[in-house]
Amino acid sequence: MAANFWTSSHCKQLLDPEEVDVVHPLDKERGITLEDFKLIKLHMANYIAKLAQNVKVRQRVVATAITYMRRVFVRRPMTEYDPRLVASTCLYLASKAEESTVQARLLVFYIRKIYPDDKHKYEIKDILEMEMKILEALNYYLVVFHPYRALSQLLQDANMNDATQVTWGIVNDTYKMDLILVHPPHLIALACIYIASVLKDKENTAWFEELRVDMNVVKNIAMEILDFYDSQKMITDERMSAALIKVKPITPQ
Amino acid sequence: MSDVDTKKVADRYLKREVLGEGTYGVVYKAIDTKTGQTVAIKKIRIGKQKEGVNFTALREIKLLKELKDPNIIELIDAFPHKGNLHLVFEFMETDLEAVIRDRNIVLSPADIKSYIQMTLKGLAFCHKKWVLHRDMKPNNLLIGSRGQLKLADFGLARIFGSPDRRFTHQVFARWYRAPELLFGAKQYGPSVDIWAAACIFAELLLRRPFLQGNSDIDQLGKIFAAFGTPKPSQWPDMVYLPDYVEYQYVPGQPLRTLFPMASDDALDLLSKMFNYDPKARISAQQALEHRYFSSGIPPTEPALLPRPPPKRESVNSKVSDFNPLDAPTVLSPPRKSRRVMPNREGLEGNIHLSDRMDDHEYETRQTADEKNEHVAMSLDFSVFGTRPPSRPTINSADRTHLKRKLDLEFQPEED
Repeated sequence: MAANFWTSSHCKQLLDPEEVDVVHPLDKERGITLEDFKLIKLHMANYIAKLAQNVKVRQRVVATAITYMRRVFVRRPMTEYDPRLVASTCLYLASKAEESTVQARLLVFYIRKIYPDDKHKYEIKDILEMEMKILEALNYYLVVFHPYRALSQLLQDANMNDATQVTWGIVNDTYKMDLILVHPPHLIALACIYIASVLKDKENTAWFEELRVDMNVVKNIAMEILDFYDSQKMITDERMSAALIKVKPITPQ
Repeated sequence: MSDVDTKKVADRYLKREVLGEGTYGVVYKAIDTKTGQTVAIKKIRIGKQKEGVNFTALREIKLLKELKDPNIIELIDAFPHKGNLHLVFEFMETDLEAVIRDRNIVLSPADIKSYIQMTLKGLAFCHKKWVLHRDMKPNNLLIGSRGQLKLADFGLARIFGSPDRRFTHQVFARWYRAPELLFGAKQYGPSVDIWAAACIFAELLLRRPFLQGNSDIDQLGKIFAAFGTPKPSQWPDMVYLPDYVEYQYVPGQPLRTLFPMASDDALDLLSKMFNYDPKARISAQQALEHRYFSSGIPPTEPALLPRPPPKRESVNSKVSDFNPLDAPTVLSPPRKSRRVMPNREGLEGNIHLSDRMDDHEYETRQTADEKNEHVAMSLDFSVFGTRPPSRPTINSADRTHLKRKLDLEFQPEED
């Protein structure tokens, strides 16, 4: 595994779920509930992934961008930091930080392509201004670790190479939640492997028990992921739109 | 931090004289009113650039935020002010190049031991954190008011460690470039920094740059003239390197002849740091454990090290490479040679392209990742942006089954 997670800023910045699930007072005033808050972040995570697919960057850039976005909204109100601009800029910043720079003008081009009808046209300068604000919100900590890196090695060790795709998919889905802000990435990887192994009917309890990790934490993460899969079936278009409308910047007429 | 805070941060520092022009902006001296500490502030110009925060600056911020060590320059603070990003570093009085160059300074064997030990300590810390410096040279080793030497300029540094990572070989000032880089190696590790540290060690002993090639070919020639043309038995992987060419055999000279003044221990360590085979080259940590540091005269206390009188130039790296009036006897190669690769930075239209050149890994990884991405996220993309994706892979029945299994399998551990 590259770089040392345990001495990293990422490790030191891990939060309790109670710290993540706090709606900023300014957002509360605008009637944003905790559920809205989570929905908007989910929507923005999906948006980042979609934008990333257009500009063609590696999955790690997507993961880093979503992590930045989620970290920003731990500290900043959505009503003042337009989530879609934050999300786009996080992708821009992550592409630089992960050494596969995407030009701002390319990003602006694809934002317009994806949302041709959007009233809010972002210019390059909006992204660059937001970049500075995001750097500040992140307190300039840019190195993020992800479960992907441990994944292939762990899967191989568990003799589960055939489950690579399904596990990778579950890991991708964890970015629709705040797990990366709360848990060390290798435990998230293990939780995903755990789900995949049950799903694929692989009996590898012994393998898990041999690992020197707290399986209760892994189990809890796995449960959280399953709860998430369950809950998102209940989300309707209407519900999502209702949440998003609350953070629409008020446009001067 | 809102705008109110920003102002306060900017007000925190009392701006003093300009120290010079940095790689990506002006460097000022300033006083931190909160601590009374003297600091150096790099102002990163944003306004003129269409690509936001300079890529090199961002690299430096990213890595220095992770690297806190007595032998690595400290990034104290960062703040935006009037549209520009400002980086606050601890103020450093001089650098190792100025020490080596100063004819009035006599470096004792204990002084040399101290300087190279601090260099290796800083490197060992970087390598422990899986960071390659990639631009080691005397002028990037800054010296503080109490003689502490610190690695600076992480603008070329990178995180390494994932398997099969490919990097550009166009790093380091040429004189400090390891032979594997000169032969075009794309996969390399911390040993490239060790070679450069060995060149710095030699430079401390000789008081002039050791291997002063004027082209990449000439650089290899200089290396081989000193140590002899490597035989495949000495360095088995050499012949597989991308730009490998056979050199006419030259025998090389005994280290004792090259460094008549050095102790046996110093020569032994030097020979291990100059090992041709990167795999066999000594690591920074191993070098620190070498008997050179534990036997013989102890290294000089940093505060007692000889250093030139503080001067405006040569503070906090990249502040003007040399002053022609100084008529320096020793110079680093011209700055430009350290970034030989065209289009590396500055030309915004080529950033993406150059990065692909930089990371050959990109293409291969990308395809691999894309494959996975499609598997993983294709399900979602059909509905992206409209509503949260449904997950055909795991249905309710699965979930109940999973939950039951998850609950049963692991009994809570009682400790």
